[in-house]
Amino acid sequence: MGLILCATRGGEASYRTQQAAIALAKEQGDEIIFLYIIDLSFLNKSAAPIVVNIENELDQMGRFFLLMAKERATEQGVEVRTITRKGIVQEEIINAVLDEGATQVVLGRPAGIQSAFQTSSLETFAAEIERETKAITILV
Amino acid sequence: MVNSITILSAPLVSAVNPSSMDGIVVFISVGIFIFVFLTISFHLLHETTAALLGAVTVLLVTYIGGHYNPDLRILTFDDAMGVVDWNVIFLIMGMMILMSILDETNVFKWLAFRLYSVAKGNAWAIAVSLILLTGITSAFLNDVTAILMLVPLSIQMASAIGLNPMVIVIPEVLASNIGGAATLIGDPPSTIVGSHIGISFTDYLVNMAPVAIICMIALLVINWFQYRKDYGDAKRKVSKTLTDQLASDAQISNYVTLRKALVISLLTFIGFFVADIFGQMPVGVVALSGATFLIVWVKPDIHHMLRQVNWTTLLFFIGLFIVVGGMEATGAIEWLASQVILLAGNSLDRAAVLITWVAGISSGIVANIPFTIAALPVADYLTANIPGGTESRIIYWALILGADLGGNATYLGSAPNIVAVGLLSQAGIRLSFSRFARDGVPVTVLTLIIATIYLLIRY
Repeated sequence: MGLILCATRGGEASYRTQQAAIALAKEQGDEIIFLYIIDLSFLNKSAAPIVVNIENELDQMGRFFLLMAKERATEQGVEVRTITRKGIVQEEIINAVLDEGATQVVLGRPAGIQSAFQTSSLETFAAEIERETKAITILV
Repeated sequence: MVNSITILSAPLVSAVNPSSMDGIVVFISVGIFIFVFLTISFHLLHETTAALLGAVTVLLVTYIGGHYNPDLRILTFDDAMGVVDWNVIFLIMGMMILMSILDETNVFKWLAFRLYSVAKGNAWAIAVSLILLTGITSAFLNDVTAILMLVPLSIQMASAIGLNPMVIVIPEVLASNIGGAATLIGDPPSTIVGSHIGISFTDYLVNMAPVAIICMIALLVINWFQYRKDYGDAKRKVSKTLTDQLASDAQISNYVTLRKALVISLLTFIGFFVADIFGQMPVGVVALSGATFLIVWVKPDIHHMLRQVNWTTLLFFIGLFIVVGGMEATGAIEWLASQVILLAGNSLDRAAVLITWVAGISSGIVANIPFTIAALPVADYLTANIPGGTESRIIYWALILGADLGGNATYLGSAPNIVAVGLLSQAGIRLSFSRFARDGVPVTVLTLIIATIYLLIRY
């Protein structure tokens, strides 16, 4: 039984990726790990007063999105776990693949202007994941 | 002359002696300001780094350059300390401490979830509640804090009912900038201008809250026309698991601290209202007193507490005050102000309209905090030199409204916008410049028109 790691966020664009990972897991009888990464780098250039525990806020938001993803997978009879990590997205995906021993990684291609990633950088990143972890990386 | 404005409690004005320095030193001071302004506006450096770099350059030019050529003296260290508005610094610091303790209690998320529950899945009702809550929170705490506390939960609620989070988050951001204009502590331009002219919390509220409320209503009307279809399409039924998760994240975390924090916050706000009675006590003293009493009562780990104070924000303001103080000392701002008077034809109304729209348009394109600090001495000059300006203070109100409302046009305009874009990206949603402007520009234009009419009728 393999282990599919699906890095996800909460936007509509991510539902398509989650569904692809669920379908793949169902077909192969694999387990899925949905991963949400808290990346606070967007605060790095602002002098705005950040007195809120923003890491905690994003952790709760991430867990909520993971719960939504888990609901979808469970409804379709797929075994699923969820994890959150904090750091730079690219680094943390690779670290999570290594730590969890994932055999496949599912990432979503940019879908329209709402996507957080660009196609070219995602393809380069997919190649890097395969090189660093030996896990097969699928862009959907 | 700038020094003639003796009625103002204005550190920028009183501490600087605009001597006969001219020529190259004017260009140096303006060059330093433009460098800081552009690096902040286009995020080429961290905002605090840019402001500190500018301040240090002003001082180094003064001491090292001035050693070889006395004409290069811009601001001495003592002058630099004099141009910093410490009332603003202590107000921000005090409010940071109050807010960080209040945030630990989770009270605003609790309130947001109560509103969500009352709305019973009605997307329009949820959106209106969250938009108003953000606007009100921004007025009484601070706009960035309101966004950081409420937007993550708003994104979750929108996702739960199948609504694009942008439909709620963008109006929340716009509401935070509008709500921030309502009080002296809501938005940095309000705090900077309000403190500079030494106005009381109550006087500020009486003058600015009415126009902020009208603008908030206008925002809700525009929002309805823009997104009524999205609200109609949202689903009303949310799974129990998701609702339970939302409820769990929105629980009050510490009732004892909450009670203490609410009591002190209430006393602090009463203090803001009555501070004028006690020898025009500055609001910075009130905020710092509230924060100190809360620390004494709640007894948090003081090291942890002081780490919560965002020193980068305070240093950012200190740096900016010094950079603009340098420019004022060289006489550059006085020259600029005299050109504005020529353009306004010595008419107070025309000058107010000019300031409102120049501040509004500029704040949509570049950062509104450095703009406001730089525009203040210009406002001083106009107020002192155009008949009727001192009595009505219309130029200052115009500057506040222009800078606060103009910040809504693009996501570069003010800090809450940038923070909200970052929060949305954490939810996998890229809010582009044009997408934000599509909502922001109409609201900005409408609210600036409302502000202009309000200023012309009321003053």
